[in-house]
Amino acid sequence: MIRIKKLVKKYPNGFLALDNIDLHVGKGEFIYLVGPSGAGKSTLLDVIFRSELPTSGDIYIDNFSLNHLKPAQVPYYRRNIGMIFQDYKLLPGRTVYDNVAFALRVMHYPRSRIHRHVSQVLELVGLSEKVNHVTAELSGGEQQRICIARAIVNNPPILLADEPTGSLDPETSWEIMQLLSKINSRQTTVLVATHNKSIVDDIRKRVVVLESGKIVRDKHFGTYDG
Amino acid sequence: MLNDIVFFLTEAVNGMRRSGMMIVISVATVTVSLLVFGIFLLVSVNITHLANFMASKLEIRVYLKDSVGESDVSMFRDRLRAMPQVKKLEYVSREEGWKQFQTSYPTMALGEMITQNPLPNSFRVFVVDDSQFVSFAKYLSSIEEYVEDVTYGDIMAERIQMLYRFCRYSGYILVGLLTMATLMIVMNTIRLTVIARQAEIEIMQLVGATNPFIRAPFLIEGFLIGVIGSLLSVGILRPMYSYLAIEFQKKVPFVPLVYDPVTLRYVYFAITGAGIFLGTVGAFIAVSRTLKTKY
Repeated sequence: MIRIKKLVKKYPNGFLALDNIDLHVGKGEFIYLVGPSGAGKSTLLDVIFRSELPTSGDIYIDNFSLNHLKPAQVPYYRRNIGMIFQDYKLLPGRTVYDNVAFALRVMHYPRSRIHRHVSQVLELVGLSEKVNHVTAELSGGEQQRICIARAIVNNPPILLADEPTGSLDPETSWEIMQLLSKINSRQTTVLVATHNKSIVDDIRKRVVVLESGKIVRDKHFGTYDG
Repeated sequence: MLNDIVFFLTEAVNGMRRSGMMIVISVATVTVSLLVFGIFLLVSVNITHLANFMASKLEIRVYLKDSVGESDVSMFRDRLRAMPQVKKLEYVSREEGWKQFQTSYPTMALGEMITQNPLPNSFRVFVVDDSQFVSFAKYLSSIEEYVEDVTYGDIMAERIQMLYRFCRYSGYILVGLLTMATLMIVMNTIRLTVIARQAEIEIMQLVGATNPFIRAPFLIEGFLIGVIGSLLSVGILRPMYSYLAIEFQKKVPFVPLVYDPVTLRYVYFAITGAGIFLGTVGAFIAVSRTLKTKY
């Protein structure tokens, strides 16, 4: 599904965020990316999502090289990848419905299909009751659910989550991770960058540990520390 | 497609509602800029009109030699008429000329002083292109077989021509500069509303929206700002001009102003067009700058 080869990301200020990363992610896999701040977890997701360009190396999605992606193709590429952000990145002043529907509107879905998909996905994330609320009225956990709903509403094969529980309390974090697990069980490939030790240790999946831009450990059914 | 258009329209209207004060400021800026633009346009139109009016009063008087007989006069008339520069031609016989002269200056009691008519036969010639007026007059005076003398108010004509040219070119330059200044102002104001929503634009990009898709509602907003701003400025300018023109005419009745509704309509259309153009182009440039990304 995702093959990363000799990936290097060096920022203009000289900081080496990713140092020769090689990683293979199979279809339907669930991977935790863990490691201290500045280890390169977010950068790796950003490069996959194409909000950052790599300095060298390549990423293949289903054998398509991202090095061949033209700027004008980026929006279309992103429609295959759901992205979940720590700060949710919801459109301000709009309702829950409009935020989720936006991901389908950019793909020119007809209104009736938008309605059907949005209703289904809001049901999945447990927000059916709040369709017409403006996002700012909702709690952090609820806003994160909107972000998740928006990320998966068009059924992308890949889901990336950058510290999805970073600003949430333990209980809500747990619910959010359960939700991601559920989405993963529908054969969606999921990559989660996280600091959350208890979750990594409780919901056991493949754990990839990054330190100073290098992969130092990669273990199936791993824990946060080993 | 229809889906998208409905979405873009609602997005634009909602966007404007959400921007609130920013939009009010944008519209006010566009209105004031277009007002200044419109005032200059009206002044420029009037000066051109005035210069035109004065130029149209210019005539070349061609006095014929006394030796030119009647058949020669009609031959010369045909020759003049065939010249492309000639717009209008009028023959004034020496008798007619004398009569006109006497009615023009009745107090001089010329009849008592001069018993014989001193005037030669002449043609009054009006030219098609005022800019060729002087050179054409000089050319006519070179036709020696018929022409005794040519008068055309030499210096006056040259002055009017210079004024006319000056007005026209300075008008073009001024309107050009003002259009640019207005564009800058409008663009920067709209840019502020775009910057206020930069985060929103970035989110749209992250969700997979193409640049045209993101741009469309902003273009509609710019268009609407242009429409509202220009209609407001025309709404102020029209009654203001009518009032001022009447007042001006009361005080200075001999200077002709532009009243022609067709010309004025053109001016107001131009202002509206400029507003719509500036609003839309301003929005386009403003959003495009924000849309530039690193990937």
